[in-house]
Amino acid sequence: MAQAQCPACARLQQPRLLCAQCGAPLGVELDYFTALELPRDPLVDEAALQRAYHDFSRRLHPDRFANQPAAMRAASLRATALLTRAVRTLRDPVSRGLYWLQLHGEKLAVDNKQVPPELVELIFAIQEELGELRAASGEASAHWSRVVQERREEINGALAQELAALERNFARWGKDEGLSKPAAPLMTELKTVLSRIAYLRSVLRDVERALGEEV
Amino acid sequence: MASIFGIDLGTTNSLIARMEGERPRVICDPKTGAALLPSVVALYADGRVVVGEAAAELEPSLNPEHRGAIVPASEGSEGGGGAVIRSIKRYMGLGGDEVALEDRHRYTFTDFSGPVVRFQIGRRVYTPPQISAEILKALKMRAEAAVGEAVEKVVITVPAYFNDGQRQATKDAGRLAGLEVVRLVNEPTAASLAYGLHHLASGRIAVYDFGGGTFDISILDLKEGIFEVLATNGDTHLGGDDIDRVILEWMLQGLPEAVRLEHRVWNSARKAAEEAKKRLSQETQVELELALPGRHVSRTLSRAELEQMARPLVARTLASCGRALKDAGLGTKEIAAVVLVGGSTRMPLVRQQVAEFFGREPLCELDPDEVVALGAAVQAGVLAGGSQSDLLLLDVVPLSLGIETMGGVMERLIHRNTTLPTSVTEQFTTAVDNQTHVDIHVLQGEREFARDCRSLARFKLGPLQMAPAGVARIEVTFLIDANGILNVTARDQRTGREHSVDVKPSYGLTDDEIERLLEEALDQGEEDLNQRMLVQARNAADEILSALDKQLKQFPELLDEEEKSFIDVIAASLRNARKGTDKELIANLVDQLNIVSAPFAQRIMDQAIKLALEKHSVDEV
Repeated sequence: MAQAQCPACARLQQPRLLCAQCGAPLGVELDYFTALELPRDPLVDEAALQRAYHDFSRRLHPDRFANQPAAMRAASLRATALLTRAVRTLRDPVSRGLYWLQLHGEKLAVDNKQVPPELVELIFAIQEELGELRAASGEASAHWSRVVQERREEINGALAQELAALERNFARWGKDEGLSKPAAPLMTELKTVLSRIAYLRSVLRDVERALGEEV
Repeated sequence: MASIFGIDLGTTNSLIARMEGERPRVICDPKTGAALLPSVVALYADGRVVVGEAAAELEPSLNPEHRGAIVPASEGSEGGGGAVIRSIKRYMGLGGDEVALEDRHRYTFTDFSGPVVRFQIGRRVYTPPQISAEILKALKMRAEAAVGEAVEKVVITVPAYFNDGQRQATKDAGRLAGLEVVRLVNEPTAASLAYGLHHLASGRIAVYDFGGGTFDISILDLKEGIFEVLATNGDTHLGGDDIDRVILEWMLQGLPEAVRLEHRVWNSARKAAEEAKKRLSQETQVELELALPGRHVSRTLSRAELEQMARPLVARTLASCGRALKDAGLGTKEIAAVVLVGGSTRMPLVRQQVAEFFGREPLCELDPDEVVALGAAVQAGVLAGGSQSDLLLLDVVPLSLGIETMGGVMERLIHRNTTLPTSVTEQFTTAVDNQTHVDIHVLQGEREFARDCRSLARFKLGPLQMAPAGVARIEVTFLIDANGILNVTARDQRTGREHSVDVKPSYGLTDDEIERLLEEALDQGEEDLNQRMLVQARNAADEILSALDKQLKQFPELLDEEEKSFIDVIAASLRNARKGTDKELIANLVDQLNIVSAPFAQRIMDQAIKLALEKHSVDEV
């Protein structure tokens, strides 16, 4: 990576959030792992992530630079926004998975939501029941509401399974295939799992909307 | 280093505070010792403004012909009339058409349209930021009088659920009051700062803030001095005022509409309702007096009946609590402490319901009216670089932010409860050949369609270089700062240059309008100063003319003809000038008269001394 120069003390260094010498925000764009000084591995230690977040926040947050010149304040604002984005992305396994794809120049195709084959029947049933719920009123409405709520539990179950599969995939990157030369099967598996999760979540959103709950 | 002060700009009451050593302290009125400043502003048609208790006291003398008007003062005010404005916070960030129907008869508005609410006071127009600025100015004066230091930099608190427009309006009010608003802090977070100092080293807390006009619930995680907000929810138009209204409606039920809307009746009912609500926190039954034209009506209200009326409103607050917990991914069992903030939490019903919901007794040791101001002072101290420098607030954006896309859909770019500051960068391009500008409509809200969300602003990027459709690559960064306010920057990806962004906010005042108001205020200030100096000059003229009059009558023999005619001529000029407004001329003539009558005055003095000495020696003998 090309070296970065600190805008405050001019020290040249590896790109990072804060200057190693004077602590000023470097104001450079970074990938999230570099920014948080975490190993470049999709398996992220939640506690380490939170610690990094708090440590960097203490040093970077605009409130710490309230009495500094405008340029420093602006730099700290940008750096903190980057920090927030980084933590938010890496904290959630799904957004982390999508980011991991992005780092490797990959992404999910726009209409790539895949219906997990074993769930095809369930999905058909749900779509029908949602239709009934939307059309129903009074007592019928209460009945379909209960039916759809039960289905929701089934979807949540399926989602939990896919999330577990996601974690298993994350674990393999470090161990089996090596992080520098990602193997095609690992990448394909990751994409598949993420597509299924995206699909299940969109069904879940439809269910929650139909049940009249805020999404 | 100059202090930064903390201000709670509340719906019902406002306060100002600052750090004194290690502890925050509310600054009281040096004359009355009052900590609270009622957020009541009386605006006279001649431009005079009165804030606080005095303004509240003007209310009974309301002129029934003018809505909300004050009975004209006997002298000084040209034309009289005006209005006493309460709960101005409820109008901040609203468009003219958003004034609640039940409020429209309370005051005179210029119209019900436009990006900002406009109150009509005589020939003047006031917007909510201007009226809020008057409250801020009063707080500024109070603090300056009490601590003898200039108040320039402040931290102002806002409800956590305030949207971008409401926050911007609060910043504008600060600017109009001549203050530098260093930071806006969310009220529940501020309250947790105030409590945090006393209590918990770490844990999850819920702050239930039920004030005069707004309700907020925030779930926070406290750890080693970092206050991290996990989720926030609320309603910016739900507060004690609404409970007052329910009681008021109950009191006025059965009366014909004309009587109900009659200003004196409405006002007397509002006051009685507020008092009843407060008293029923201590007593179980109260008697309410209502002044109707020609007679008095009294009604009894029990605490049980009040609770029945207030229950649906409290239920709404609990529904908000549920949503916040859901967003935070927590159950009530995982909350270590619940903090109550805001005057409305004094109601036994509220305390009982909150305790039931969270399964624990809420903390309320700190005065619920003062705790937000104290917290603001703590944050002010942190920003000033004081000893609490290891405290850090990580707050969130309460409402999702997004843009309007094809088909009128709201595309969320920044989700609600995202920690601030945060930013997102999106790429935009042109849809048609040689398109000169790109328009972006930014909104806040959780609904699917743009029309159901709150319009924030329209941004216009450009002018763009001529190019076929789809060639332009503009990178737009949406950044929400620590105040919860949106900043938009744009960059042409191909050239790397910054694009100018023309902002048209959907609600509130534009920068130009604020500049103009500030200038007007300066002119106004000058005018006021001139007026005062004119009054002073006239007083000086009156003094010397009446003194001379007396002396001329008493000691005509001490004056010769020539002197007398000089004095007469100048006195006559002065009398004339005094009728006019040229204060310099009056002052000059007063000086001249002083000089010309000085020998006369001296002689009178000498004579008096001589007489006194003679008398004295006679006495001595």
